[in-house]
Amino acid sequence: MFYTAYGLTIQSQLDLPELERSFPTVAPDVTVRLGTVGAGGLPGGRQLGPYLWVGQNTFWLQVPGVARFLVQSGTSIWCDPEVGVDEDSVRVFLLGSSFGALLLQRGHLVLHGNAIRIGDACMLCVGPSGAGKSTLAAGFLQRGYEILADDIVPVDAQCRALPGFPRIKLWRDMADQLNIDTGDLRRIRPNTEKFNYPLPPASPHPLPIRWVYILGSDQNDTLRLEPIQGMHRFQPLHGNIYRVRFLHGTALKAEHLQLCGQLAGKIRLARVTRPRTGFSLVQMINRILADIAEHP
Amino acid sequence: MGGIYWLASYPKSGNTWFRAYLKNLINDGDRPVDINDLNTGGIASSRCWLDEVLGFDTAELAPEEIEQLRPDVYRWFLRDEVISYYKIHDAYTLTARGEPIVSREATLGALYILRNPLDVALSAANHWHLDVDETIERMGDVRTTLARGRSGLPDQVSQKILTWSQHVSSWVDAPGLNVKVIRYEDMLSSSLSIFTEATRFLQLPDAFGQIEKALRFSDFRELSRQELEKGFKERPLGARQFFRQGRSGGWRGGLTPQQIARVIADHGEVMRRFGYLDLSGNPV
Repeated sequence: MFYTAYGLTIQSQLDLPELERSFPTVAPDVTVRLGTVGAGGLPGGRQLGPYLWVGQNTFWLQVPGVARFLVQSGTSIWCDPEVGVDEDSVRVFLLGSSFGALLLQRGHLVLHGNAIRIGDACMLCVGPSGAGKSTLAAGFLQRGYEILADDIVPVDAQCRALPGFPRIKLWRDMADQLNIDTGDLRRIRPNTEKFNYPLPPASPHPLPIRWVYILGSDQNDTLRLEPIQGMHRFQPLHGNIYRVRFLHGTALKAEHLQLCGQLAGKIRLARVTRPRTGFSLVQMINRILADIAEHP
Repeated sequence: MGGIYWLASYPKSGNTWFRAYLKNLINDGDRPVDINDLNTGGIASSRCWLDEVLGFDTAELAPEEIEQLRPDVYRWFLRDEVISYYKIHDAYTLTARGEPIVSREATLGALYILRNPLDVALSAANHWHLDVDETIERMGDVRTTLARGRSGLPDQVSQKILTWSQHVSSWVDAPGLNVKVIRYEDMLSSSLSIFTEATRFLQLPDAFGQIEKALRFSDFRELSRQELEKGFKERPLGARQFFRQGRSGGWRGGLTPQQIARVIADHGEVMRRFGYLDLSGNPV
């Protein structure tokens, strides 16, 4: 089956219903195949975690109970599911960490966040898991904005965000807030309260990144938006690289840092800190949109 | 040899105070450490930490799956060959494979901080934003779990804390665990000697001057002053102040006789064992 995401043509032996279908081609950019991925890591590679190895142009990941993945040269993913595991579970980690690693290997700066289209450019919301990125994306979606990428945002050498695939991951309570009936939605994995919410296809073209907001929360009662200026801009951006550990010991690290510096010089960067609960999503979106309007 | 010393406690038992002390001790500076910068190593249940070491999102995993992986994450730290100090509120439980979630190999020891459950009830009610009866109920419920996150995504993974009594015994009686128990009440009344013992247990420098200074810099008045001045990021929602009273025995005016009786009924055995009940079963 042929698909498209991140501007790439992907040929996959595994069904990827989240992705847009594409015409067959003899020379896909990426192949996803089912096959044996050796247990016990990468011979000659470097172990970066209990289940994580990297080598030159190779990345090995095991998700215990789910699958082993081998990602090579930004062009190929081998996937070795454990016996009896469901396909949904395999796909979550294929489209997450494995695609993240593949995009790194292709030389992109990969950020942990969402990309939302604003006119002919885009805005990124980045932050750690639990910062509220998905909720914010869902809020923007409800206002009619186009979501370019969810969770993983690859940035090319021209500091443009590449569109991912048309879905966001919605927790049940978010879906309820947005009056979306989860009865029709596919669960991301069986037994989770997280749903796959398909979106209308986004623009297939990369869009220049003009704004990046770093999301966080604290115990204060008010929402704050604080611009980050000058040389202080690099570190917070670097801190939101998707799985920065994947870069350790690879030749990609220098390239990544350079791209990160370039992007830092081109964007409006601000920290958006919300109260831990009791905050208004509407207010947060308005505050970000007002900042965008002030800094076009 | 590297490894982890766990700073283990039921919530609201003095863990944060101890971490403030530890940070000041290690820092050895000429002014108190910022209370918003108490990271001696973070908390065992930090989602960011687990995700980074694992290389995939715990957000996509069921709680039982995460539990299985936690020992592997802590064991990974043995490679650094340094001694680290991590806060933990989980009870000492076993994974489905029968392995302690904190990992036997990764654990150098546990400093268990214990506090009179009558005072914990009052303090936790404020912290959890529940009324005292609900809090006592929770302290007696084996299913009590922190950061359960049925909806949305908390920044910590879920933590089984069991009942208050089970929490205490899980750590204190864990087979083969190098554990030292200190009581919050003794930390208050015999600060210097208790903190010195704890410091030695954690293999940290025990010079008198350094300990005395760290105690001064983490004194309740200092912590509370800093919180009033600039807020405290670990203050939970709905709670007015994290550093609330910093004393023991608040239950005497704060709990009703029925509430006291309920706590004793639930936890009398462990209370007696650690000197919170006298021989006739009355709270002391």
